[in-house]
Amino acid sequence: MQAGMAFENAPPFIAPLRFFLTAPLFAALAGLLIAVDGGDLFASRWTPGALAATHLITVGFMLQTMLGALIQILPVLAGVDLVNPLRLAQVVHLGLSAGALLLVAGFLFGQPVLLGLAALVLCLSVVSFLAVVMRAMAGVPSTSPTIRGIKIALFGLAGVVGLGAALALALANGWAWPLPALADLHAGWGLGGWAGVLLAAMAYVVVPMFQLTPGYPVRPSWWFPVVMLAMLLAWSLAVLADWAWLVRLSQLVAAMAGIGFAGLTLRLQSKRRRARSDATYRFWQLGLGSTIFALFLLLTAALWPAAGDIEGWAPAIGVLLLAGGFLPFIAGMLYKILPFMAWLHLQNCGMARVAAPAMNKLLSEADSERQMRAYFLAFAVLLAAVIFPDWLARPAGLLFALANGWLYWNLFGAFRRYRLAEADIVQKLASK
Amino acid sequence: MSHAKTPHVVDARYMVPPEPFEATMEMLDTLKEGEKMLLLLYREPHPLYKVLRQNGHDYEVEQVADGTFEILISR
Repeated sequence: MQAGMAFENAPPFIAPLRFFLTAPLFAALAGLLIAVDGGDLFASRWTPGALAATHLITVGFMLQTMLGALIQILPVLAGVDLVNPLRLAQVVHLGLSAGALLLVAGFLFGQPVLLGLAALVLCLSVVSFLAVVMRAMAGVPSTSPTIRGIKIALFGLAGVVGLGAALALALANGWAWPLPALADLHAGWGLGGWAGVLLAAMAYVVVPMFQLTPGYPVRPSWWFPVVMLAMLLAWSLAVLADWAWLVRLSQLVAAMAGIGFAGLTLRLQSKRRRARSDATYRFWQLGLGSTIFALFLLLTAALWPAAGDIEGWAPAIGVLLLAGGFLPFIAGMLYKILPFMAWLHLQNCGMARVAAPAMNKLLSEADSERQMRAYFLAFAVLLAAVIFPDWLARPAGLLFALANGWLYWNLFGAFRRYRLAEADIVQKLASK
Repeated sequence: MSHAKTPHVVDARYMVPPEPFEATMEMLDTLKEGEKMLLLLYREPHPLYKVLRQNGHDYEVEQVADGTFEILISR
């Protein structure tokens, strides 16, 4: 009988790693941009600095890690084997990195040609990814809420990138489109339909697995992705038909669904069987609390639109959702997934004759926790900078850059130790 | 632990990887011809499915209300 785990078809470790080791650098760049731009960046959502910093985080950090993680984890989550994952990773990684830089430069320098190029490069990268992944998933039945969630999230990815490219072209060519309404919809598809649904689909597996909580109950976990998709379709229809009431209603229901998911995850975490609170757990606590806070602000503005015009309201939602929500969720997962994948590859490399080093030897909990504390401080100052931008924006940006640079350093250190352990195992196998 | 479907049960819901895989393989080795075992998990173990198929085992999967996947594996 075969005794090893069936990872012979898993992509090489370097496939997701190139994404994981690039993403924190983009987040650090966002911090540096805030430090350079100062308080002006928080004046409105539409300043070039705010648009650039937002996309350094959403495209540079979030999209990188999410696509990289999917390439690695689809065989485990959905039993799907991708055709030539290493080549796909190279193409998508290069396209996302170049596309993010072009987009940010386009915003900062107001250059239409850069915005057009960014739209083209990002579209091509994401279409390449979707073509390979959707072909692989076409025959896979939705036997779990995770698989259904991933399928819906891929639809959301197509939505956010399609809308984003259209917006970039509209900006570049000065088309008379209702840009604020379309930009809100673009953010809704990105943070709700793509990132939010994908996060939930991953959480159904990784929260019980790594944090030893009970599982997500069947009914809400199957319905959450469907409700989000339905609300985004309704929101899109409302923008097309210019029905403000339906825009608000769909935002309201989507926000309530998000609060429900976050609240359920908090409840499951409170029943976990792992006594120690590690960096992943703390990052997720921050992410869940901050997401709930952000969605309450969104919900309030949907019920009472004048609230959305209060100074700092929209930037606060952005900081809470991105720096307080998605970044901590992803950093927390990276601290579990990266050493686990490294350990699995080393285990396979040792062929049951040489043992792989323990996971905490590849990435120590003390290192993760120190970085986590630095990140919490950076987030707190960034949130305060929404209220006191002139005083706090620059220090907040610097702290944010440092905390994300530290994340890079920790992940790179794990990679370095992985390479050393791999060389050691090869040497020991040769001498046996 | 026993279950209505079979007395041979691995409850891996609070185990860390790769313990569920190892415990399942160990129990499969102890089963006699025609016996079945039940694996309880909060996720679908696709890498395990692949090994089961490669080794000629049949399995049926059912997700119950609390989110548990009940995977009934034939020897």
